[in-house]
Amino acid sequence: MAKDIRNRNVNGTSSNFFSSQNSSMTTKKLVIKNLKSSILTPPADYFDKIWPLLKQALEAILNGRNSPTNEEQLYRHIDHLCTTTSTNEAINSQPSLLYENLKGVFDDHIQTLLPTLLSDINDSNGYLRVLNSIWNDHLVRSILIRQLFIVLDRTYVLHAAVPNIWELNQDLFRRYIMQNSIISNRCVNGLLKLIEQERRGETIDRTLMKNLIRMLIDLHLYKKDFEPLFLQSTEELYHNEGRTLIQTLELSQYLSHVERRLHEEQLRIKNYIDQSTKLQLIHIVENNLIANHIKQMLSKSFDTLIDENRLSSVAVMYDLFLRTGPLGINDLREAFGNYIKVHGRVLVIDVDKDDKMVDELLEFKEKLDHFVHECFHSNEKFGNILKDSFEFFINQRSNKPAELIAKAVDARLRTGNKEATEEELEKILDKLLILFRFIHGKDVFEAFYKKDLAKRLLVGKSASVDAEKSMLLKLKQECGNIFTSKLEGMFKDIELSKDIMTAFEQYLHGHKAPENIGMSVCVLTMGFWPTYPTVTAILPPEFCRLQEIFTTFYLSKHTGRKLQWQYTLDHCLLKGWLKQKAVKEFHVSLYQALVLLLFNQQNDVTYKDIHEQTKIVEPELKRTLQSLACGKIRLLNKKPMSKDVNSDDLFSLNTSFEHKLIRIKINQVQLKETPEENSSTTERVVQDRHCQIDAAIVRIMKTRKTLSHAQLMAEVFSQLKFLLSTSVVKIRIESLIEREYMKRSAESANVYEYVA
Amino acid sequence: MRIRLKEFNGVAVWKWVTNDDSCGICRMQFDASCSECRYPGDQCPVLHGECRHCFHEHCIMKWINAQQTNKLCPMCRGEWKSLP
Repeated sequence: MAKDIRNRNVNGTSSNFFSSQNSSMTTKKLVIKNLKSSILTPPADYFDKIWPLLKQALEAILNGRNSPTNEEQLYRHIDHLCTTTSTNEAINSQPSLLYENLKGVFDDHIQTLLPTLLSDINDSNGYLRVLNSIWNDHLVRSILIRQLFIVLDRTYVLHAAVPNIWELNQDLFRRYIMQNSIISNRCVNGLLKLIEQERRGETIDRTLMKNLIRMLIDLHLYKKDFEPLFLQSTEELYHNEGRTLIQTLELSQYLSHVERRLHEEQLRIKNYIDQSTKLQLIHIVENNLIANHIKQMLSKSFDTLIDENRLSSVAVMYDLFLRTGPLGINDLREAFGNYIKVHGRVLVIDVDKDDKMVDELLEFKEKLDHFVHECFHSNEKFGNILKDSFEFFINQRSNKPAELIAKAVDARLRTGNKEATEEELEKILDKLLILFRFIHGKDVFEAFYKKDLAKRLLVGKSASVDAEKSMLLKLKQECGNIFTSKLEGMFKDIELSKDIMTAFEQYLHGHKAPENIGMSVCVLTMGFWPTYPTVTAILPPEFCRLQEIFTTFYLSKHTGRKLQWQYTLDHCLLKGWLKQKAVKEFHVSLYQALVLLLFNQQNDVTYKDIHEQTKIVEPELKRTLQSLACGKIRLLNKKPMSKDVNSDDLFSLNTSFEHKLIRIKINQVQLKETPEENSSTTERVVQDRHCQIDAAIVRIMKTRKTLSHAQLMAEVFSQLKFLLSTSVVKIRIESLIEREYMKRSAESANVYEYVA
Repeated sequence: MRIRLKEFNGVAVWKWVTNDDSCGICRMQFDASCSECRYPGDQCPVLHGECRHCFHEHCIMKWINAQQTNKLCPMCRGEWKSLP
């Protein structure tokens, strides 16, 4: 009908409008009707007729031959058989009959495969190949048959609760072949043998492996038959391998071996083992090769790895341990910390190596930093253990490291330090500062730093004011205002002295200037600077006059003060007419000047006379004479010639003195630290610490009123940062009891009471 | 051979002229500053009284200004008159 209307619309032009209106008014519907099934209902014995044909074809396919009947025809028969519906029960049951018969054929066929697979094939590899080819044939043929019987699959199988043809085929294969314990064992053992061969380094047929494992997976036998045995054999292998190799191999070799094994197993998964086994497999390898041996690896030769700077091995170690979880990493971290403590202590503790200590510490630190960055991927926890361990060992020796770090800084900041540009200098100062950060007794550092800074500033040996200021700033950032306030005061004094000197020069213009002698003076504020011993010496008149002029000037500007000259820090420029024309200038210390000026009057002077006429204190005078007569630059001759100055030596001017420079510095002796200076600096720190201990004890007692000895000790130790011994604290307590800050309790000698 | 002094670079330490080591009020050494100042210097000199006692200027002025009636030396309770 619809077709008619369309035809009319196309042909009839004028009636177009009318007719379409008309048709919409009668509302015609499109109706889809079922496809007409073939009119022929198959006869009741249709199945019996076609089955022999089908069976013949099936057997042909199953045996790998071409079907004798045309497959198209067979397909139509099956189609006909399956799609016909009828009231006749016999006809309706035909598909199920077909299915059952099909099953029977499969069943029979698969059983014919058994003898081959049960026969003796000694070579397990050959056996696997046979199995593989049977499986492959089975697959190809199953597919062909499924295609042929696809109508059965889509009609009967859909409604009846039976497996489809493909599954049926697989089920049968599984049941008869792979669930046969002999075949299954031979197959699985064969596979395991191949894997073992590959693990030994031989090449195997990976495609064969892959196919058969695929087969096991397809037949749902992988998890049951293969995987447990595979994992078990893996476990056994690596368990033994781990135990023997950790004994025989060197650690770095062992580590790379483990790395290689892991890589191989991962490849194995990629190549043929199923992904689902990955976690378990890798876990087994990690457990047996790494986790079980962590302690042994660390105790065995971890230290040697670090000693020998084997960054790559340690990096591998870290990566491997990281796989096994936090425990291994913790152990590694501890081992790293212990290494630092043990080896660092060696650097610090040896008295004979003091001059190299700081350099070695810097080197050690740099090396360890390298490990943290390169091997431990800058893991924060490793950075922390590095710091903690450094702090631990560097404080194992009290005071000396702090002193030596201060001196190292001094050496870098002095003039004549040619090693560095400004940037390099900054860098090395930063590094030294890092070491300084680990030191508990910062007061020792401060004392020595201050002493050296004073010399640099006063004797004019500071390499650069900028570097000095930047170091000061660093210390300030590190330790706060109070720590550096005195150091800043020193800089302030130097600035102030410059102002004073400009004023002084103007002042000199108005007064009679002493015969062309230049003069500059640094005026120090007592509290900022290290305390210097007051020494006396007899000065020649020109010196006295200069000092007087300056003192008068200074006191006129600042009332209520007095000036004390520090002879050990004074230095002079001397002009010497050696021969006819050779004029030289010498930078000398005041003491050196005093000695040299004596030779204007006499040619030969004995030690005793020098001592008599200058009154320089004994050790200083000896040092001064030594610097003039026994150093590199010899202005004086000494009789007898020797390295040490004795009290009956005779001195004379070295008239044959020659030097290529005009201006010569021989006052380095002033910069050198004398043993007395060193001990007095340390002594002062000790005194300061006594005061701090006293203060801490009094503070604690004031809050607690009564406290047992043990408790008091514990509190004191927790409050004070520097290393202190119990005996010192005990002495301080005794002293405080004596001074009546506290007393022993009347009831118990072990309890103290605060005295208000 | 003749040797002559050409230049003299001296170092001197200044101290307050006092009769005592430390200030009787703040107990700080005179060589250090009083508790209010960061540095010792002319902003806070040492004042001497007629009674021969001396104090940081800041310390004694604070004391004197706190006194209601008579200005007394905190050490000897005599009348405080500072020497020029």
